[in-house]
Amino acid sequence: MKGVNAISSSLDPPRALGARPRFDEVAAEQLDAVYRYLVYLTGDRAAAEDLAAETFEKAFRMWRRFDPRRGAPRTWLCRIARTVAIDWFRAEARRKRREETYSRDLGEAVEAAFGDGLSAALESALRELSPAEREVVALRVLLELDGPSAARVLGISQTACSTRLSRALRRLEEMIGDVRE
Amino acid sequence: MSASDVIGSERMEALLRGDAPRSGAEERRAALLDGLRAPQLRAPEALRARVLAAAPAPAARRQRLPRPSRRLALVVVPLAAALAVGAALVHGLVGSGGGSPRPVPVASPVQSHTLEKLPATGAAPSSGAGAFRAVAVPSVGNANRLQHTAASLQVRVADTDALSNATQAATRIATSLGGYAQSVVYRTPQSGGGVADLELRIPAASVQTALARLAGLGTLVSQQVSVQDLQHAFAVQSAQIAQLRRSIAALQAALRDSSLPDAQRVLLQIRLAEQKRALAQRLHARKGTVAAGTTARVSLVLSTGNAAASVPHHRGRVGRMVHSAVGFLALEATVALYVLIVAAPFLLLGGLAWALNRARRRREERRLLAA
Repeated sequence: MKGVNAISSSLDPPRALGARPRFDEVAAEQLDAVYRYLVYLTGDRAAAEDLAAETFEKAFRMWRRFDPRRGAPRTWLCRIARTVAIDWFRAEARRKRREETYSRDLGEAVEAAFGDGLSAALESALRELSPAEREVVALRVLLELDGPSAARVLGISQTACSTRLSRALRRLEEMIGDVRE
Repeated sequence: MSASDVIGSERMEALLRGDAPRSGAEERRAALLDGLRAPQLRAPEALRARVLAAAPAPAARRQRLPRPSRRLALVVVPLAAALAVGAALVHGLVGSGGGSPRPVPVASPVQSHTLEKLPATGAAPSSGAGAFRAVAVPSVGNANRLQHTAASLQVRVADTDALSNATQAATRIATSLGGYAQSVVYRTPQSGGGVADLELRIPAASVQTALARLAGLGTLVSQQVSVQDLQHAFAVQSAQIAQLRRSIAALQAALRDSSLPDAQRVLLQIRLAEQKRALAQRLHARKGTVAAGTTARVSLVLSTGNAAASVPHHRGRVGRMVHSAVGFLALEATVALYVLIVAAPFLLLGGLAWALNRARRRREERRLLAA
């Protein structure tokens, strides 16, 4: 676990315990991480861009509530991003229901969403995962949050978070294997 | 997938940290992690500019008061308790100040008076003030006002025979003056000596005579007389009764009107019943006030010389302060308990609604993200 913490702290610049960073510094440092998380969660870069902007707007309004003693800025921002994204999912679900009602299924455009340079098989496999599985991959693998922090963002236990990650990675391996065969 | 392909959580954490894989399955997992981390997914410049523009420089940022921490509760709760105790102490200090305790003792000479030696029989003297000239019986009360008199006397007698006689004599004194003995507790322990506690009710008009005669039953050790004025309470109760009677008369007159609509009639009947009930209560209360004003309460303790009699305790200033503070604390506790009882159902409902809403949101989140 020491190593995991080392990774986390290498991403968040070292500060005195409880020292309050400036919001503009945090925004500059964490923007990429939040954006990556939202891309994985939504599977839609355009939406992730809007949601990232909304996340930082909300974070700025709530900045006085941020307590550095209770967690890293990245964890705090990811929790806000998740709330914002869930609202978006809710709105999307309503939109899809309306479209189904009026039989206007326009189809979803498929494009490389999860990063340029990602193999086609991996891109396709990631798209097959559920948002819940993709977000745990994003938090643990891309953003390199440790187990407790990721579990806190997801609002689940650390064991459940670990199980969800294992299942997601196993599914990815299986899907990539199927494509290669 | 074989059993050997399963990667435990500890090894998974190790692979996430970048440790070298130890098996084929771990190699595949490590390759997958590398594949996921390979692409550089950076926020577009437009988004960066948008976000950083929204985050103002520290100088331009409006300073806000820091949000109170949850740990503040650790300070607030003891502070509230300290305030409650402090308020009780202040109340106790103020309440125990120069003023006299209620009921206001108009005369409280706690003095020892030596009486003329009574006959060995200890029988009650028949009458006449001559035998009790040495007894300092204060003149209490005002005959023109309704007042409740309470007195306590402690009288020492020679021995248990004298105690028995004095107890009977005290009862006779009360009866002869138109009063009665409400309770008599007579104790003569084997160790010797004895004590008799008597609670007597004496008509207010005869209380002076009663005190003089009771004090003459032996050697007066202590005496306390207090008078509480009931005239104001009586006047208030009488005014309320008169008001209620007027109100009842008006309601009865209104109800005699045959053109009164049914709904209004029912309302007036309810009000009439309420007024009648209130009148009955006030009459009962006034009766109690009158009874208290016309009957004095006399507590008499007769004891032999070697018995430890229970002397009515008069508190000093510190005692009054503590008593007052404890009373105030009890009042605070009662109010707090009342508020808690009233608020508890609402808090419970609020908590339940919050928990249900949280569970519903969690379920909805799972459904949305599982799709």
